Amino acid sequence: MDNTGKMPAGDRRLFYSLAPAAVISMGILVVMTVLFIYYSIPAVRVYGAKLITTSTWSPSEYGEPSYGLLIPILGTLISSIIAVVIALPLALSAVFFTEEVLPRSMGSVRSAFASLIEAMTGIPTIVYGLWGLMVLSPFLRDNVYQPLYRYLGFIPLFSCEPVTGSTILTAGILLSIMITPFIYAVVRQSYNQVPRTYKEAILALGATRYEYARILFGMIKPAILAGALIGFGRAAGETVAVALVVGNTFNPPTCILSPSYTVSALIANQFANAPLYPYMVNVLVLGGLILLVLGIISNILGVMYLARVRYVA
Amino acid sequence: MRDWRRVKERIFLAVTSILAMVAVAPLFHIIASVAIRGGGVLYRAGLDFLTSQPAPPGSSMLGGIGPALLGTLWLALLTSAIGIPLSVLTAVFIVEFKDHPLARLAKVFTSSLLEIPTVLIGMLVFLTIVSMMGHYSLLAGSIALAIVMLPYTVSYVERAMEEVPRTYREAGYSIGMTRSQVVFDVVMGIARRGVAAGVVIGLAKIVSETAPLLFTIGSARSSYPMSMKDVFEPGDAVPLLIFQFAQTPYQNWQDLAWGAALILTVIVLALFAAMKLIVREVHL
Amino acid sequence: MDLVEVRVSRLNVWIGGKHILKDVYLKASPGSVTAVMGPSGSGKSTLIRVINRLIDLVPGARVEGEVLLGGINALREDPYIVRRLTGMVFQEPNPFPHMTIYDNVAIGPKLHGLARSRRELDSIVEWALKKAHLWDEVKDRLHDYPYQLSGGQKQRLSLARALALKPRVLLLDEPTANIDPVSTTKIERSIMEYAKEAMATVLIVTHTPQQAARISDQILFIYQGRVVEYGPTRELVLHPKNSLTRKFLGGEV
Repeated sequence: MDNTGKMPAGDRRLFYSLAPAAVISMGILVVMTVLFIYYSIPAVRVYGAKLITTSTWSPSEYGEPSYGLLIPILGTLISSIIAVVIALPLALSAVFFTEEVLPRSMGSVRSAFASLIEAMTGIPTIVYGLWGLMVLSPFLRDNVYQPLYRYLGFIPLFSCEPVTGSTILTAGILLSIMITPFIYAVVRQSYNQVPRTYKEAILALGATRYEYARILFGMIKPAILAGALIGFGRAAGETVAVALVVGNTFNPPTCILSPSYTVSALIANQFANAPLYPYMVNVLVLGGLILLVLGIISNILGVMYLARVRYVA
Repeated sequence: MRDWRRVKERIFLAVTSILAMVAVAPLFHIIASVAIRGGGVLYRAGLDFLTSQPAPPGSSMLGGIGPALLGTLWLALLTSAIGIPLSVLTAVFIVEFKDHPLARLAKVFTSSLLEIPTVLIGMLVFLTIVSMMGHYSLLAGSIALAIVMLPYTVSYVERAMEEVPRTYREAGYSIGMTRSQVVFDVVMGIARRGVAAGVVIGLAKIVSETAPLLFTIGSARSSYPMSMKDVFEPGDAVPLLIFQFAQTPYQNWQDLAWGAALILTVIVLALFAAMKLIVREVHL
Repeated sequence: MDLVEVRVSRLNVWIGGKHILKDVYLKASPGSVTAVMGPSGSGKSTLIRVINRLIDLVPGARVEGEVLLGGINALREDPYIVRRLTGMVFQEPNPFPHMTIYDNVAIGPKLHGLARSRRELDSIVEWALKKAHLWDEVKDRLHDYPYQLSGGQKQRLSLARALALKPRVLLLDEPTANIDPVSTTKIERSIMEYAKEAMATVLIVTHTPQQAARISDQILFIYQGRVVEYGPTRELVLHPKNSLTRKFLGGEV
């Protein structure tokens, strides 16, 4: 229903002078989606399902290039899952630590701790990447990966010799550090929305703080899921930090101690030169479309779960 | 029985406290690494670091990040010129005409941009602006960054405007103000700190963005953009330089990356601090 | 100086499907003060907001009936013209916090080009602040921001802002509900003086019978959106016909 007709002249003038800005802002996502689909179609037409079921990546300026996104797609999923698995306990502990372990009387310490975690979202992602490449990777290779391979090498996940520190696991660990503050923020907000009376009631039952935490986190389970999903979305879309530590190699990420690829890293490394190769732009845009869909779906689901918490509380 | 519960509580408290420390530990390690390594580089290079070009790869000289720093300044300026009006006007539209379907769509679509990997924004600008112009440019980079800025600034400005008590709007209308006078002279005037905070947070986000620049500005590592016409030429930016230099095997370029990381971190943290200050001093 | 009589007839207002005002009527003449009374939630504030079309800002509001401001049909006319003719003071003191005391009063005249020179503007500001009985307290700090003022001073500043436009109709929505007694007295004086000197039509929503008795010429008593009693103040206070009115005036509702 268009109600511009009912507006006084002055309002209508404001409406029409602001509308272009709103249309442009709104149009960006629309144009992006349409354009990405448009560019993806030729790739799908030529390569079909092979694009996501095979893993050969041999671009060629002349002959018959073949493209398979399987490895980067798996790499994105596995590194993001690792990130969430590590970040979730860290974020939940940090929430519990700020809200319950630090005594109420130490209000300034609490807010200082909270702003430290918040500050982590402010550190540029490229700085995370640089640190990940130069500091974290060598450290993990020497102190974690080598022992893992030596003693637990019989497990397929750790069955490859860690030659460099740039691996899918490093990407997962670095991403976990980067998404912890986001999960923390989502969970903490819901945690604080739980009415005080519930908290007091639980304690009045004589629960220990362990039992208390289990009940409270149980109450806000949807928010924890939402945090995990939003964190997953962030991790899957992160580009430069991952491109610096993932190794950028077409190895299947089934052994997480080997270098591999993610979709975002593939785009970062190859898109600029893609126009030189037939269909490569189209294939990479398809990769982008996959990231777009992944990002939007995980976020929509996350927001849905969050809405459910509010309903409960 | 009772003792076991106590023991479990103890263990739980210890584990959560340790994990909470582990969660923030990287922050300190990153800041310390950047400060020590970057600080050492800056000390060695002196003021030249801010003005010179990078020395040739593998040489014993360092040089500096002058062109990239200047490029980042231009990007910040141009992005503000494009992004601030666009986001502020969009936010005003969303708040003022919130019952109109167009406003609702604009709200949903701009806030969704927040969830989109920024590298895709770089792709979009590559496929449109860059391919239309036929080459990379600072302008294309700024357009990409303005899109990155948009959802942050829109949501801040929106919230700042919503927080202005309704009675001031009524007061504005009651003395015969038009809608745009109420919006720009009253609501925006009262919300100006929130609006400024939104702009600063947007800037803090964009100066450190790398992915949108990968396929938009090129990396013209030796040219100093000086005038408006250089905006249409390729340029460089601090985060892009870090990304590319970190991957090279050359010691002197890796050092430059660390120095650049220190500069970038300082800029971003300063912007965040400014934002906090702006927000704190609000009184109605 | 044109005289603007306010005439409301068969006014019905729905907000979000709820019937807020039912067949409300009133006639307020220039130079007089009309007090609108009734328990809270009876629709008094809505009535005031229909007269200057602030009701347009309320989502889901529907208005039927007739509101005449002199020769102007307020419900049909461009709301900006209606609001130019009327001035309003709100329950909560709301001088614009980002403007100085001076600018708060000057903004109206500036907006409508009432002053041809800075000097003229100065004199309008001084006049309005004097009319609001605030001048003596702020004349040395006109360029300060209003947050240092007390609540009562802020409310008088809001009144001065409205008076600076010399509105033909002055609307007040419980202007002294949260104000100290000294400021209340000053505001009441301002209202009565302005009605007489400018021959303006004044409508004031109030919930204190004493205030209505002190300053009004006639009282309109609304209950659950309907006019239950309407007449000259003296008559209504001394011999209320309706039992509800009697109770209310006795402080029982």
